[in-house]
Amino acid sequence: MACSKAWTRHVDEKILTEHFGLANLYEIEAYLERGGYRAVTKALQEMTPDGIMDEVKKAGLRGRGGAGFPAGMKWSFVPKTSDKPKYLCVNADEGEPGTFKDRYILTHNPHLLIEGIIIASFSVGIHAAYVYIRGEYEAVAQRLEQALAQAAQKGYLGKSILETGFDLDVFVHRGAGAYICGEETALLESLEGKRGHPRLKPPFPATVGLFQCPTVINNVETLANIPAIIQKGAPWFLDKGLAKDGGTRIFGVSGPVVRPGIYELPVGTSLREIIYTHAGGLKPGKKLKAVIPGGMSAPILKADEIDIKMDFDSLAGVGSMLGSAAVIVIDEATPILDVLKKVAKFYAHESCGQCTPCRIGTSWIHKIIKRMSAGHGEKGDVDELVRLASNIKGKTLCPMGDAASLPVLSLAQKFKNELESCLKDGSG
Amino acid sequence: MESAGMKIVIDDRPVEVEEGTTILQAAKQAGLHIPHLCFHPAFVPEGSCRICLVEIEGLPKLELACATAVRDGMKISTQSPRVREARRGVLEFLMADHPLDCPICDKAGECKLQDYYQEYGLFEGAFKEAKEKRDKIIKIAEKLILDRERCILCTRCVRFLSEITKTQELGVFRRGIHSEISTYEDAPVQNNYSGNLVDLCPVGAITDTEFRFKTRTWFLAQSESICPLCSRGCNIYVDYHPGFTRIPGTAKIYRIRARENLEVNGRWICDFGRYGFPSLEKDRGDKILWKKEGRDTIMSWEKILSLLAEKLRPRHRTKNTSNIAVVANTWMTNEELFLFKKIFKDDLGLKKIFFADPRPGSGDGFLLQAERTPNARAAKEMGLELNPVNLDDLSKNTDVLIIFGPFLADLHDPSSLKNDLDKIRTKVLVSSHRSGLESYVDFILPASGILEKTGSLTNRDGLVQKFSAVCPPCGDSRPEWSVLIELAKELRINAGYYSRLTQPEVILKEMGKEIAFFR
Ligand SMILES: Cc1cc2nc3c(=O)[nH]c(=O)nc-3n(C[C@H](O)[C@H](O)[C@H](O)COP(=O)(O)O)c2cc1C
Ligand code: SF4
Ligand code: SF4
Ligand code: FES
Repeated sequence: MACSKAWTRHVDEKILTEHFGLANLYEIEAYLERGGYRAVTKALQEMTPDGIMDEVKKAGLRGRGGAGFPAGMKWSFVPKTSDKPKYLCVNADEGEPGTFKDRYILTHNPHLLIEGIIIASFSVGIHAAYVYIRGEYEAVAQRLEQALAQAAQKGYLGKSILETGFDLDVFVHRGAGAYICGEETALLESLEGKRGHPRLKPPFPATVGLFQCPTVINNVETLANIPAIIQKGAPWFLDKGLAKDGGTRIFGVSGPVVRPGIYELPVGTSLREIIYTHAGGLKPGKKLKAVIPGGMSAPILKADEIDIKMDFDSLAGVGSMLGSAAVIVIDEATPILDVLKKVAKFYAHESCGQCTPCRIGTSWIHKIIKRMSAGHGEKGDVDELVRLASNIKGKTLCPMGDAASLPVLSLAQKFKNELESCLKDGSG
Repeated sequence: MESAGMKIVIDDRPVEVEEGTTILQAAKQAGLHIPHLCFHPAFVPEGSCRICLVEIEGLPKLELACATAVRDGMKISTQSPRVREARRGVLEFLMADHPLDCPICDKAGECKLQDYYQEYGLFEGAFKEAKEKRDKIIKIAEKLILDRERCILCTRCVRFLSEITKTQELGVFRRGIHSEISTYEDAPVQNNYSGNLVDLCPVGAITDTEFRFKTRTWFLAQSESICPLCSRGCNIYVDYHPGFTRIPGTAKIYRIRARENLEVNGRWICDFGRYGFPSLEKDRGDKILWKKEGRDTIMSWEKILSLLAEKLRPRHRTKNTSNIAVVANTWMTNEELFLFKKIFKDDLGLKKIFFADPRPGSGDGFLLQAERTPNARAAKEMGLELNPVNLDDLSKNTDVLIIFGPFLADLHDPSSLKNDLDKIRTKVLVSSHRSGLESYVDFILPASGILEKTGSLTNRDGLVQKFSAVCPPCGDSRPEWSVLIELAKELRINAGYYSRLTQPEVILKEMGKEIAFFR
């Protein structure tokens, strides 16, 4: 096993899921007892907005929503002086198949996110934040609303927070079930009451975002890391992870493993350790075939590729991606064609339809795969899938085109033999 | 160019363009066409069709030509293998979801998808799956039919209605491959600019009932002209079928389209103008008639003009022209109004000069003007007063009346018209259209319709716009300018002067010499 002890040393020290065992952590009293809102107090009373931004930059906190963009740098793109209001949008859409980490944060530790929202808003000069929450998360949204009300009651939200003169209101907006509304610019459109169609960039949301105003968009988990960075400092946070990718990740493991669930582990923990040490390995009698390491849009890894550090750069190095850190385990009994079919169906269904390659390409790919899985595959179909996916990749309006084509490419290339074995040999 | 010039190279051609220019515009300046479908110069780029992708040296991904502003020193390729492959990919996707019913599509011949396939595609279709079935005949406006199978979802139609007319009747509904253009809950597209959607749609997804299945675009000669239906003077194309030689009656104007003139009409025309052309072709008078003792006699131009001259000449010679009255109209071109004024006002010294024009309508606040005649401004600039016809003044002590145009019939009720006109001994009508006036007059001279003439018009803003004949004159008709010159010659007034004025351009030049406005 390539994974060294060094990568297991922080396992017990958690940032986000520390007190998840408590039954009522979502109640502000319980949260305060555990030292809650101290980070907000420190940030608002002892630090400057720029000081906070610097600390976040130094902490090497990269976005947990998928793209891994450095959070502090994103904030710094918002113009310091602007005659327009600025907004924060919290991406709680959690639509990436396999991903269920934000839901845990929102359900068990909503005040941690609220603290993160307050500190981020203070640092960027924002007075209104919107949490865009996945439509299906009804109970989760209620939990968050309750937490927000409690925070407001204690004076952590609303006018002049902690008598510092800093105002902030937080609104919860529930989505209506479209995956594309997790893409940040589609999210903005949806918040504005329009169809969730991604916007052409530039301009970027940092300058022209929600209601044409400068806007920061961050994932729930990204923001939930802020309080710890403020309280314990950037070096501490960085030390938890890697030099350019600090802190921990909540890995959501699903599939036929012994203990599926979420595991908060240092950035850079090996995939093998996650599956075999933490998730308990595969269920008895099952054999590992492949792993999708970062949510469904991440290119697949074969069983012999799992000795890899789970961080943005390492996974990019092997042509995959860390994405939302959702680890989908696939066992030998699962036909790759079934995986491919699920993937293709999902993206064909969720394409917003705005741009040509994604609208028509995902549907075309899905049709071929449906035909293959109905037993009417033909010679050349697998190559055709590769060709079509390549014509989508890198050519679409939003990153969904890549999200839809990369997994198809990786599946078709890495499992070409298996896929071709289910095609007609030409005689039938 | 005020701002700093950006020096760039597109396909090895160096170009210098202004800051803020997009790659697409810069290429155009360099004489290169980059295919584009969703982009339209009147709207904010949307970047959705993806056919305009180009390669920029040093950038890993292909970038949109329609939405990327050039930077100094940029090296762009619009023909590299990667670009051609991407473009082909987009075309292949579009074709895979397209019915390919070109043989019955009205857009065939001027369809962007066809054009680009010819230029960049020409591949065998690899699509073997079942095509999506969609509704093909959806009435989205009084005259517009939407075919969802042909639609490529460029959203030009949606953006036109949201950015230009701001009426927002169309939107994109559903998503992914099921995305479709639709009206909101069956509320139709209802505005005076709906016909522009047909011009705008790059494929045959929006067609109008006026043109649908009537002809093929490649039979049509596309001539530039000016819309005569209001004083805006919108620039138009008149698409004319010259007819099949062996099949009589096949020559016909099939449609009017907007022609770009940013000073006048932008890139649009109103439906009133667009769909008004059949009225220009209907009820045409095409014969020269003398109602001699109650019987219609067909005449030649020489005969009728000399007959008329005989009636007018003695009065001119004796300077006794007070019993001649003339009615003009401002559908007449600059050149015709000028000749009219020269002959009747200056040379014959007539006092009874009236105008009969179409009744004003109401303007729509955008292009369409209340003044429903194209050339009133010119008459004013020439010093002609637009006196409306008062039947008493017209008929009192009048011996000879010459009426230009059919509009008088619309302005007065038939019985009073007949009553008053009966008091006049000799009545001449020079008109392109039948209007009922024919029954009150003795001489009928068929004038060419405005689209059969060459000349110029002056719009409400004083812009003089030249235009040429779109089609040959109807029957024996002649344009008024030629009738007026011939008449002047017959009358032998100012012979040297009128014989020089052989063509509208010569007349316009002469006008410039005499009236500063037309210089
Ligand atoms: C198709 C698509 C779906 C996405 N869905 C989500 C999502 O559900 N949640 C999320 O946080 N980010 C999602 N993203 C990523 C966001 O666009 C954006 O990068 C992220 O919210 C930025 O926050 P971060 O920098 O904190 O990660 C999605 C991106 C794409 C292209
Ligand atoms: S890539 Fe897909 S999801 Fe993104 S804009 Fe294009 S059609 Fe919509
Ligand atoms: S109907 Fe025509 S203009 Fe409208 S989206 Fe479709 S192709 Fe474009
Ligand atoms: S023309 Fe550029 S994307 Fe359509």
